[in-house]
Amino acid sequence: MNLKPTIGIETHIELNTNTKMFCRCRVFDTEEPNVNLCPTCLGLPGALPVPNEKAIRYITLLALATGCSITKKGMFHRKNYFYPDLPKNYQISQFDLPVGENGNLEIVIDNEKDYVEIERVHMEEDTGKSSHEGSGRIDSATSTSLDFNRSGIPLVEIVTKPVIKSSKEAVAYIEELRQLAIELEISEGKLEKGNLRFDANISVAPSESNELGTKVEIKNMNSLRSLERAIDFEIKRQSLALENGDIIIQETRHWDESKETTTSMRSKEGSADYRYFSDPDIPNMVLPDEFINQIKESLPSLPHENRNKLMETGLSLSDSNVLSKSEKWIYELYFEVFNNTKDSKASFNWITGELQGQMRKLEIKSLPNWFSPNFLSDVIKLIDENKISFTSGKVILEELIQMDTTPDEIAKRLDLYQENDEVAISKIVNEIIDNNQEIVERIKNGEDKLVGFMVGQIIKSSGGSINPGMAKEILSKELNL
Amino acid sequence: MSKKFDITNIAKLASISLSDDEKEKLSNDLSVIIEHVQALSDLELDTNIEDVYIHPLEKVLALDEDTEKPSLTHDEAMSNAPKVSDGKFIVPPSLE
Amino acid sequence: MELLNLSIRELNNLFITKKTKPSELYSEIFNRSASSEAALHAHLSLFEETNLDKAKKSDERFSKSENVGLLDGIPLAIKDNINIKDEKTTCSSKMLSNFVSPYNATVISKLDTEQTIYTGKTNLDEFAMGSSTENSAFGLTRNPWNTDYVPGGSSGGSAASVASRSSIAALGSDTGGSIRQPASFCGLVGFKPTYGSVSRYGLVAFASSLDQIGPISKSVDDARIVYSAISGHDSLDSTSINDEQIELPFEKNATIGIVKELMEDGISEESKKEVEKVIDILKQKGYNIKEVSLPLIKLSISIYYLIAPAECSANLARFDGVRYGLRVDGKTSYEMMENTRAEGFGDEVKRRILLGTYALSAGYYDEYYGKALRARKKMVDEFSTIFKECDYLISPTTPTEAFKAGEKTNNPLEMYMSDLCTIPANLAGLPAISIPTGLSSNNLPLGVQIMSKPLTDNSLLDFSEMLEKELEFNSTPEGWSK
Repeated sequence: MNLKPTIGIETHIELNTNTKMFCRCRVFDTEEPNVNLCPTCLGLPGALPVPNEKAIRYITLLALATGCSITKKGMFHRKNYFYPDLPKNYQISQFDLPVGENGNLEIVIDNEKDYVEIERVHMEEDTGKSSHEGSGRIDSATSTSLDFNRSGIPLVEIVTKPVIKSSKEAVAYIEELRQLAIELEISEGKLEKGNLRFDANISVAPSESNELGTKVEIKNMNSLRSLERAIDFEIKRQSLALENGDIIIQETRHWDESKETTTSMRSKEGSADYRYFSDPDIPNMVLPDEFINQIKESLPSLPHENRNKLMETGLSLSDSNVLSKSEKWIYELYFEVFNNTKDSKASFNWITGELQGQMRKLEIKSLPNWFSPNFLSDVIKLIDENKISFTSGKVILEELIQMDTTPDEIAKRLDLYQENDEVAISKIVNEIIDNNQEIVERIKNGEDKLVGFMVGQIIKSSGGSINPGMAKEILSKELNL
Repeated sequence: MSKKFDITNIAKLASISLSDDEKEKLSNDLSVIIEHVQALSDLELDTNIEDVYIHPLEKVLALDEDTEKPSLTHDEAMSNAPKVSDGKFIVPPSLE
Repeated sequence: MELLNLSIRELNNLFITKKTKPSELYSEIFNRSASSEAALHAHLSLFEETNLDKAKKSDERFSKSENVGLLDGIPLAIKDNINIKDEKTTCSSKMLSNFVSPYNATVISKLDTEQTIYTGKTNLDEFAMGSSTENSAFGLTRNPWNTDYVPGGSSGGSAASVASRSSIAALGSDTGGSIRQPASFCGLVGFKPTYGSVSRYGLVAFASSLDQIGPISKSVDDARIVYSAISGHDSLDSTSINDEQIELPFEKNATIGIVKELMEDGISEESKKEVEKVIDILKQKGYNIKEVSLPLIKLSISIYYLIAPAECSANLARFDGVRYGLRVDGKTSYEMMENTRAEGFGDEVKRRILLGTYALSAGYYDEYYGKALRARKKMVDEFSTIFKECDYLISPTTPTEAFKAGEKTNNPLEMYMSDLCTIPANLAGLPAISIPTGLSSNNLPLGVQIMSKPLTDNSLLDFSEMLEKELEFNSTPEGWSK
């Protein structure tokens, strides 16, 4: 049986506004429960919702950045269901008139560009947090405790069309979305803090079929790793079932990280009837053209545009993708260094390899303020001009991160400048040849790997100041290799 | 034409537990009312749902600036709580 | 001094001229409520302790001739679905019998700056659902004109208090007539302002798109003073409006419309006669009179009884025993919520929640709720058209005089039908007022309703005051009128 999986992802992004979505309680991190509340986010009798202007700006930014069409006369809906962490027992959300519709997001997968189509982008509010006391397992809890600090925080929900075809694509999509949110400065994008949460809808159907199979929703994946594995597991589970002739039940399943399986959740009979209706407490939201245009103009350079710019400098799609998902200062540093050296590969390697490696080793998160992009450009140029060796470059960089000085000062102090003079090098090369006739014979008889030994001897005798590439070149010339 | 009234389902959606007697009485009450409003359901209307505004005066939303306003203290927020422990509201176990 | 019959302006004048003081007034109010509460049960709670203090402070301000407002030291009764900080807000429901509010409704914050005194919280139909105050979980309120009769609802406690003079004026709330109808039943002025002109922040929501807070008082001027203090844009209420008032013409430049559908079957002859009485006065004053027709009004009860329950089914979902109010335990939180709501809500509230849940449920939305929204829009448009040719619309406030307690409690639909005249103003967001015009053959008050287009509240009040002067309705309920 030839089966193909179809995946759709629903992502919730917590917006980093100053206050909550429908009330002006300040949003802040705290361990203390229930300290960030007002009548509205606590659901007291008589309280009313007042939508947050910045949240609407942020969601419009995201909708425009993903090429969505913006709804002109929108509204909020009440999504009605009972649950203890939902103070009003309805969530204010959006139903059939979301802020943005029909967009797409460029992703990079297997070194190729692709697009994920976006169904909708809508605004809603977060719920409180429940913790279950007791043995720790949900189904044997003795009580549930509730903290409503999170209740009312603005959430943007982005739903893709069912177009994703693999777990890898799903991960690439989330990575892209996360970077976009960071780029737009609407979220910190920290998965471990729950800034982005995602659910996947997965179905499997015969390859020739035009219809989609029964979809199963998977919840509770809080990392990219669990997203990937949960999707893979589920595809396998469904495929196996179909091959055995079993029916797939439409349901919500839970990803169990420790068992590495999806398990059926104890669900209520039938699918939920949310009885959506337009929230009478919130008049129609009409976004004027000036508002939308203003936001359009404020769009920063988006990750896919950054990738294109990077590729124009000569980088591969893969390398461009890495930089487009790095922190802003890395991306900007690349361009500064590239503009000076015109060497895209070296610029890329030195920044993502050496520089970031050194920083990690020294456990520093940002470069010291004396560190100029020119330092990196200079090091690269010196190496290109054979004035210092690659190893010396690494040494110089390490010093520059820790000391307020220049590459030239370090090279001079540590005697790193290399001998480039052909005549001087030839002299030493010939000396070594004379002193190692046996080896030379063996090389001439075909033992090529002894060339490296000879080069090593040349460098050793010069006290390390000879350019190895040149030494090898001249040696080969002398020996007529 | 009166619809079949599934009072058990409605009560479940509304999260109100009803005795059998109550179910019967309420079911009857509601049937009488639904029958009365049927005249409205049957009415042909040329007004489209897209023309409807949420606000009776057809006002549109004014968005509020993202600036903090006074809120409740922890004690005020918890002051009417039926059951509290470690600063959290306690309820019987809720299944996910 | 006999202070309880006086108007707000008269009292304020006596305070300023130092002929009496707020603590004396409060003392009379306090003594009155000692007897009236036992007979009528208008209040659920009285704020005696804090009020003595407030009255004394008010005395000081007047004695020092400080700059004081009209409402300084004036005792108002507040319907118990409006939140006052550190006081109970019960909504006459078991669900909230012990709920002490941690915040003030905006109208209360505004009245606080006027240094108003609150007599206490008044009785209502549970969660404002009803037309007689018989749906209160804490006992019914009686009509001061005849204690066998209901005071009307849902703001029956507020009306009974003002009529029995245990307060100078009161706040009520109106969703389908809950200010106007009890005012009419109790011989008082009841004013429902333009939707959005008074903030709903802190008013326990029944039907969000229909609810408005407004005054119940002995005179139009008193209503005007209270309205002026509580109205205004509020950034805590997204439905609150910011618009300027529109002025309407008067006398020969104005046209009065009589709504045909509100003078037909279902309306008692006595009620029709009151409207005719008012029309005669207006004719004499030079107003143009015409009959207007709004056929959709015949369906307003159906529209209302789909929209209001739908909205209330969601508004009352928050009452679940989790964060405040009654809790009845269960093995799981679902069970707890279901049990709590079973015991906490009375029959009428359950009826409306279930009706609303049904109207919104899958498969029925378009037929019921969706249809009602479209019909409402059409009604708004039709009123708009009518107001191009008319400035004021006159109708009876209610189909009949007050009815006896227990008379309509077995038939919910019959109770709903009595809201026919008042519901349209809520559906269209119109300002509407009821003024007392005469007595029935049973010696019970009758009232007439005047409606005008949105944002004409001040003109409507002026117009009503003119009628009030002409009508000279001076009757008061026996035993409570001094």
